[in-house]
Amino acid sequence: MSEQLMAPSPPAPADGSGGDGRRPAPAPRHPRWRLIVVGAVLVGAFGFLLAKGLGGSLDYFETVDQAVHAKVMLGTKTFRLEGLVVPGTVHRSPSGVNFVAAGSKDRVHVINTGNPPELFQPDIPVVVVGHFVGDTFVSNQIIVDHSSQYVAKYPNRVKAPNGSTR
Amino acid sequence: MTLIIDGPPPSGDPGPQGPDTTDPSTEPWTARTNWIVRVLAGVSLASVAATVWLGLWVTPPDKVQGNLVRLVYIHPPIAWVALYLAFGIAAGSSVLWLWPRTRRVAWDRLAASSMEVGTVFTGLTLVTGAIWGRPTWGVWWAWDARLTSTALLLVLQLGYLALRRIPGDPDARARRCAVGAVIAAVDVPIVHFSVNWWRTLHQGATVLNANLSPTIHGAMAWTLLLGFVSLTLAFAWMLVVRYRIQVLSDRLEGADLETALAERWSEGEQ
Repeated sequence: MSEQLMAPSPPAPADGSGGDGRRPAPAPRHPRWRLIVVGAVLVGAFGFLLAKGLGGSLDYFETVDQAVHAKVMLGTKTFRLEGLVVPGTVHRSPSGVNFVAAGSKDRVHVINTGNPPELFQPDIPVVVVGHFVGDTFVSNQIIVDHSSQYVAKYPNRVKAPNGSTR
Repeated sequence: MTLIIDGPPPSGDPGPQGPDTTDPSTEPWTARTNWIVRVLAGVSLASVAATVWLGLWVTPPDKVQGNLVRLVYIHPPIAWVALYLAFGIAAGSSVLWLWPRTRRVAWDRLAASSMEVGTVFTGLTLVTGAIWGRPTWGVWWAWDARLTSTALLLVLQLGYLALRRIPGDPDARARRCAVGAVIAAVDVPIVHFSVNWWRTLHQGATVLNANLSPTIHGAMAWTLLLGFVSLTLAFAWMLVVRYRIQVLSDRLEGADLETALAERWSEGEQ
């Protein structure tokens, strides 16, 4: 296609003037440097996402069982710990909340500083961010790891006269 | 679809991606197609409105999430469109363009249109996910495998759109974009299976789980199903409209090329 465009005219000189004094060909709508910048930004974003998300660890957290098993190796390193909030162990205080997180075999006592999320409650899986101090896990963030099951809150609620069950 | 929308092929077609010399001011759709598209628009908007009504006022609150569950009727259907429908059509059309026996300009147009609409849906997937994540998880964003691979998908889609804007021969553009779409499609199964392959904060699949047994019941399940249908219809509408724009855009590009050629020929004759 570009050959067709150039066919009627003699080859242009290197200075781009058009040679015979005629108007030079119009510049392309999208300059090359702009495409290079866009390409560099996209490659940079791709690399950043790859390094940030996949470079460290593909697993977002360690389970309570895994953490207890690797406790010596983990030392005081900060990591994410996942476990089920054991009912009856939640104690709220002005500075935060204490509870026991359970795995399938092991349990860890968690002391968290700061307010937990709205959905934090007994018998729900959570991810806590922090480190071991002795046998206690000291954290400063709680993330609720809810399941993919959705069940109506009041499945047997009697209908109101207007038909509403909410 | 393309037979109706594209109209008769331009005479002296130089190749599958050659300039479309049809008059750009000519309406590319027949009256019947216009009517079908209007009906599609009406049905999709009505079904989206019905989903919002059922999701906000009729369905019950969830046992754990309470009223926050209402985002389930929007977020997974948007993700379904972005991940499987839009990307599936874009990748499939690209393969059909790359295969010499099935190479038609329509496949390139369809891939471009689907990828562009899909990019909007991927962006919406991330936005609605963040809005849902903040009150439920307690964070807007987490660098887990599901979220990261979805963000990566958005970057790949933006890369595809940038590729399309590189000036040059339409055939070369179609080829590199098709190859790009096929390579980018590798990320789709990674996004889907990330919740099974790795330990993620994002919950597993509710509908397309390993047992294909949805873990949502009653009115909630039906509303979610309607959400999938309504967002699919909305996507179909947007895709058809975007395809029409692509046809008109190609015609303008073809007309520009014809004008440039005519100018050059007249200059050569002087």
